Amino acid sequence: MSDPDQSTIQAELVHPDCSACGSPLENGDLRCAICGKSAPARRESASTKEVVKILRCTGCGAAVAYDPKKQAPSCSFCDSVVEIETLEDPMEQTGGYLPFTVTPEEAKAQLQGWLSSLGWFRPSDLSSTARVQELKPLWWVAWVFDADARVSWAADSNHGSRRSPWAPHAGATQMVFDDILASASKGLSAAEVDVLASGYQLETAKPAPEGAENATIEQFDVQRSQARKHVAQALNAISHARVEQTEVPGTRFRNLKVSLVLQNLVTHRLSFPAYVMAYRYKGQLYRLVISGQDKRLLSGNAPYSVAKIVGVCAVLAVIVLIVLMATSLS
Amino acid sequence: MAADTIEPKIDYKEISCQSCGSKLLLEPQMLTAICPYCASPSIIQRPPSENLPTPTFTIGFVVTQDRAIEAVSNWIGRSSVFAKSAFRKAAPELTRGVYLPAYLYNAVAHSEYHADIGENYTETETYTTTDSNGKTVTRTRTVTKTEWRSLHGQHSCYILDVVVTASKGITNEALEAVEPFDLRALRRFTPAIVSGWLAEEPSRTQDECFRLAHGEAVDEVGSQLKRFMPGDSYRNLRYETDLSRESIDLVLFPVWSFAVRYDESKPPVQILVNGQTGRVGGKVPISPVKVSIAVGIVLAIILVGVLLFGMAR
Repeated sequence: MSDPDQSTIQAELVHPDCSACGSPLENGDLRCAICGKSAPARRESASTKEVVKILRCTGCGAAVAYDPKKQAPSCSFCDSVVEIETLEDPMEQTGGYLPFTVTPEEAKAQLQGWLSSLGWFRPSDLSSTARVQELKPLWWVAWVFDADARVSWAADSNHGSRRSPWAPHAGATQMVFDDILASASKGLSAAEVDVLASGYQLETAKPAPEGAENATIEQFDVQRSQARKHVAQALNAISHARVEQTEVPGTRFRNLKVSLVLQNLVTHRLSFPAYVMAYRYKGQLYRLVISGQDKRLLSGNAPYSVAKIVGVCAVLAVIVLIVLMATSLS
Repeated sequence: MAADTIEPKIDYKEISCQSCGSKLLLEPQMLTAICPYCASPSIIQRPPSENLPTPTFTIGFVVTQDRAIEAVSNWIGRSSVFAKSAFRKAAPELTRGVYLPAYLYNAVAHSEYHADIGENYTETETYTTTDSNGKTVTRTRTVTKTEWRSLHGQHSCYILDVVVTASKGITNEALEAVEPFDLRALRRFTPAIVSGWLAEEPSRTQDECFRLAHGEAVDEVGSQLKRFMPGDSYRNLRYETDLSRESIDLVLFPVWSFAVRYDESKPPVQILVNGQTGRVGGKVPISPVKVSIAVGIVLAIILVGVLLFGMAR
């Protein structure tokens, strides 16, 4: 046995890992959020011999009893309440900011280049007349997690089918999830996050925002329990997609069911740099998002040229009409 | 494990009130006492042993005594029409609000399963029938048939938050009737949280509870597997489950316990109220007289119907 004082200090400083599944326990967790194993107590209060006692209020010395109205043990005379270790569900903040490595000028140039590369269906004067309304640096937030998982699945596929078009298949596989991003951003859409997610250097994270001024800094606005639900959903969705791609045989499938058991799930909260650019074309506002670390990664929308599309449709309609007439004549 | 070596003592425990010094006799499985002379809440702290571990967690009472009494009265009023009349009129007697010991079990289940999976397909078949003119004609129709394919696979899943009672006074079925408890409100056990309330020590051995939880976990795997099966249908689902990473924690759950005595010659009916959510559970005594009258009436209606039908023809 170690010195009791020292073990108390250690338990409060270091977040231990769950002894069953290896996922780190966070400060204020009573149980492992993944497998339900109880966390070790911060203070060991085991008595060595049987004693009968009355708990006294530290303020006035009167007996302390649990009060359901206060949801805590309290003293009936002086109303003071005894604190008890409960499950904490805090709103958690980012653990680090990835710095901007793309300058605003580069981002603007990238926008112009992108506009001119869009293709023929866009208005001809798009890249020359579009005006960048606003270029706003933004740190958006996401959870990044690593985990090992044992994934078991079952599905029907056309592979090996006999009389019925479907045959049942099942399997189990080990998957490694490495630096998977799950967005917590309210400002960016899922499609934008998909484009940006791949181009970040996670090891560059700094404790404070760097590389941009007047940036919008998003906050995590869900509680820890909610965040864990998001991460679990993301894990499920990713393993589902991986099983679809690599595990299920055949070309078509249905009824895919996936069950996960995790080991060593580690989650970080990080803020990611991006430029959000709004540009105006003929009075309409369009939006473009560029990664703050890799300017080639961008996602945005742009107007289509109605005149060109109508023109093409008209030409196609005329051709179809001519063909129809020709076939009906012959 | 030396599970059954520590038999619960039948003799009463004698403690002296630390406030007024009076001697109190205590049921051996109680963790707390309230002095009848000075109302001081005493707590017995003892070293943990194999079958009497220190509780890990507690859920505090939320439902007050008045609300619990109200909930039980409403529940009795709403009870089935087949309940004994004396029961519906009986006044519930509050016996106590007690922290009930139960084990919270968690595990990871790895299973191997075999099943026959039904895959539907349609076939066009020809059949002969007579048409409206009385001629025999051959027609076709599509019928759905099922092809059975055997499937063998593995399944891994979590079994989370299985609760089994550790008190001999309350069966697992009785506890299940007032579940669920909201486990997000779990608190680390400290003696202060049960101070002034009755709290029981576990009276079932940890081994027994472990076996009970184990059984529930295997059943839970079965219901997860049913949802896991592909195909249009399945039959002959058989599985072997290996439970690992098992953990078991002693938790004290808040329960209001009521006794309803509706007949002097019968033992009272136990009704429990979840001390956290207010959910009421208990077995309503069914009146055999009422049931047989109802059955008689239904039979009579059928008989009359048959007779009328027979006469009409």
